[in-house]
Amino acid sequence: MAQRMAQAAKLLIGVWIAGVAVAMFLVVPQYEGLGNAGRIIMMHVPTAWVSVLAFSISALFSGLYLWRGQPKHDDYALASAESGFLFTVLATVTGAIFSQVVWGVYWNWDPRQTSIFILLLIYAAMFALRSSIEDVARRRQLSAVYSLFAFVTMPFLIFVAPRISDSTLHPNCAFLQGSKCEGVELGVGRLGLLGDRKVELVGLDRVGDVVTAKVEVTEPGMSSVTALSPTYDTANHKILERPNFPGLRFRLVVEDVNLATNSVRLNIEAPGTGLIDNGRTLFTFLASIVGFTALFFWMLNVRATLLNVEWALARREGSRV
Amino acid sequence: MNTALDAGAAVYVAMAVTLSVWVGIFVYLWRIDTQARALKRELEREDRREQPAAPRSTVTRVREGEPVEK
Repeated sequence: MAQRMAQAAKLLIGVWIAGVAVAMFLVVPQYEGLGNAGRIIMMHVPTAWVSVLAFSISALFSGLYLWRGQPKHDDYALASAESGFLFTVLATVTGAIFSQVVWGVYWNWDPRQTSIFILLLIYAAMFALRSSIEDVARRRQLSAVYSLFAFVTMPFLIFVAPRISDSTLHPNCAFLQGSKCEGVELGVGRLGLLGDRKVELVGLDRVGDVVTAKVEVTEPGMSSVTALSPTYDTANHKILERPNFPGLRFRLVVEDVNLATNSVRLNIEAPGTGLIDNGRTLFTFLASIVGFTALFFWMLNVRATLLNVEWALARREGSRV
Repeated sequence: MNTALDAGAAVYVAMAVTLSVWVGIFVYLWRIDTQARALKRELEREDRREQPAAPRSTVTRVREGEPVEK
């Protein structure tokens, strides 16, 4: 009975992810400024989420192995780290494709790309460490300790490093409001930073309810200055004109106007920002996360079973020699 | 000219490719899963077979003249 239910659950994973793939192309609407390329987020974010989950589970089983010393815990720790590595590679590749569409290059050592690359190196080193130690007990013990250390770096590399950096182009605000998403509040004649670009509010024009901000944008290295004029409807609290930063698909927007202090809140609108405001996108996104998480647990189980069989066969051969 | 990759059809082509890749991965995973579980069962069965058989009867010393249940 339990086996039949497990088989049914695996079939359900197959159908579910196929459904997500169809919804990704046919149900999710095109995102303004990104077109069809925005759909890749339905794969990119869930795979990144699963890699975080996988590395956490790997650390959990590594801790259990050090505590209890049972080989099956090491099997699960290794299987989980391998799955996490695979999903991180998927997140990196899908991110690079997105990068090609939005930034014009597959790889530009953006803080987000650099930090995920370092994470991949850290876990690749763990696999190298495992394969370099002959003694099984020692291999397992050292690998478990290493896995715990690697896990400590993971939240920093995935969540912290890209957010404390000023120059990331990664749309951090696509799903969560917060770091670097609050924009900059400027009065007339004041300077501020948006990403790595200096912005200066030169003036504010008001015609009826529409406010136009005259903004001068200075490129990094002070190489050039461009005048942009984003507009905002104060009656309906609506962003109107969204001029592009020169040579980029990022746009400058006025998010709020304070007429009493004659100031505005300026922000960068990256392609992908506010993507899941749409209900169909949100639903498909959540379904994708559920599907990929289930797929990860299935893969984890299969790989752990294989490692267990491999170990049993090696032990058997050893006992016969 | 290239009707397969014009704006409207490209989405369907991309979806077909994605689905094909997923079907391939799913079938591969399903087969590995089935084979791994079969191998594990087989090993467990062999392990049980190789273990020394448990004694099926016990011998009890009986003093001479003592009644014995037959």
